[in-house]
Amino acid sequence: MKVVTGVVGNDIHVVANRLIDLSLQARGYEVFNLGVNTYLEEFFDAAVETGAEVLLISSLNGEAEGWGREVKSLKREYKDLDDLIMVIGGNLTVGTGNAEEIVPKYKNYGFDIVCHQIDLNTGLDMLEEFIQQRDAGGQSK
Amino acid sequence: MNMSKGKLLIDVGSTYFKVCTQDHLEQHFRNFNKSIHDDLTQKCGAIIDKFDKQDIHICSSANGGLSTLIIGVTHTFSLKYATNIAFNSGINIIDTVLYQDIEEASIPSDLIDVVIVVGGINSRGDVFAEPLFNYLKGIDYSNIVYVGNELDAESIKANIPNIAVLPNIIDDRLHIVEEELKTYLTNLYQQDIMGKQDIKDLYDITGNQIYSTPYIVNRTLPLVDAKFSVVNPFILLDIGGATTDIHYSKDLVEDNIVTENEFDRLVFKKLGVYKSRESLIFAAKSNEFVGELLMHLNVTENIFADHSDKATHILMQLAIFLVLCKMSNYHQAYINLKLLAINSIVLTGGITKVLSQEEVEDIIAFFYTKILTSEHRPVTIMDTDYAIWTLGSAS
Repeated sequence: MKVVTGVVGNDIHVVANRLIDLSLQARGYEVFNLGVNTYLEEFFDAAVETGAEVLLISSLNGEAEGWGREVKSLKREYKDLDDLIMVIGGNLTVGTGNAEEIVPKYKNYGFDIVCHQIDLNTGLDMLEEFIQQRDAGGQSK
Repeated sequence: MNMSKGKLLIDVGSTYFKVCTQDHLEQHFRNFNKSIHDDLTQKCGAIIDKFDKQDIHICSSANGGLSTLIIGVTHTFSLKYATNIAFNSGINIIDTVLYQDIEEASIPSDLIDVVIVVGGINSRGDVFAEPLFNYLKGIDYSNIVYVGNELDAESIKANIPNIAVLPNIIDDRLHIVEEELKTYLTNLYQQDIMGKQDIKDLYDITGNQIYSTPYIVNRTLPLVDAKFSVVNPFILLDIGGATTDIHYSKDLVEDNIVTENEFDRLVFKKLGVYKSRESLIFAAKSNEFVGELLMHLNVTENIFADHSDKATHILMQLAIFLVLCKMSNYHQAYINLKLLAINSIVLTGGITKVLSQEEVEDIIAFFYTKILTSEHRPVTIMDTDYAIWTLGSAS
């Protein structure tokens, strides 16, 4: 399965980005890593060019907050991305924040899986579970 | 003039001929009622007769460039990469179409010289289908090339007659692969020049291959340092009758994705002071600073309706300003050059025959002050005797 990943916005957390890349590969995904400082349009465009089924965006220190608001409207401009699984993870707010507030907010932005301050492997387990449920027909996009 | 002994160099531009011997240079305004061959032999026959065919070298930019339509699946990758390669091959882009919108896209009415179809990495198939084939049926084009994913290549070949299929310009890491398409487009440009009957006739005069002028100028750039007191980095502006070419070293570009050559080139097809006069005026009227510039030059917009020498003077000054604008961050274009980092601006082409050094420096100063709000003043060098193209063609 193809995954496009990268760090959104003006964010240079390259170590986390590399760890995500390696962890995805270790689980058998074909990874297209756009690296740090990536714009939303580049993520969606990469998904179109590669035919990726998953878009995994990472972010630290709340950088995603501003960009997240644009996700729904930008994704609507693409005609063939309805089935793209949208994942975001990292520290999704400035400071610590409360997952009970943050997760619904990002789901409302258009993400299927939101991993706020969650261990990387736990987040990837959530992705696998989501895919299994979807394939079994229990998770509709 | 730096040239080999015993050679005659001829540049056929859209507006002027330039003819150069070892110790003599002359230029002639073209007579558009005659073929290039007849016009050239009538005006310069005496000089031409003195040289053996093997010692005569001709270059030309009189074809005006190629028009291109690029159909790609994203702005960030396929359209951007193909556009970049086309620009660097001397091609003039006229349009791009995003494939997902192709069914609503307008059909170009003019003949397109080359259509480029691109999209998807090689493991991504089923990108292109009926909507592409239907759209292409409505277009009048001379050449078409496919540089997209491998999986769609068979279906593309089966459905689009005479399509050339080249390796994908997007590799499996989403990086650009430029060389094959660049070679194809460069050859097409060369063939277009050579295929023009007007140019074919010139083989009566020369026993050597006729090259495109931009190709010759690009060969010159590494030599410019030796010929002129140029301080690197520099840009070269060739403002002619039909087009404006900008040659620049690639370290002046932040988003540099073409890797092969030291120098790149951009063409603004409709920015010339004679054949493209109307579109230059249109571009000027759309620029918010032009009013202020005209005031600075002590003229009004009425000058656009004028055809005097003074009007040509003003248009050439405007052309310099507009080209610099197009290259700057003020105008979010395909490429923005680091104009604050350049130390020299070299000007060549017909413009050097009309404007004085002071007039050019005045415009450049206006641009840096108004647009870049900077006191930076690159050194201006005027190639008044066409040494740029004689360096290239003699080398």
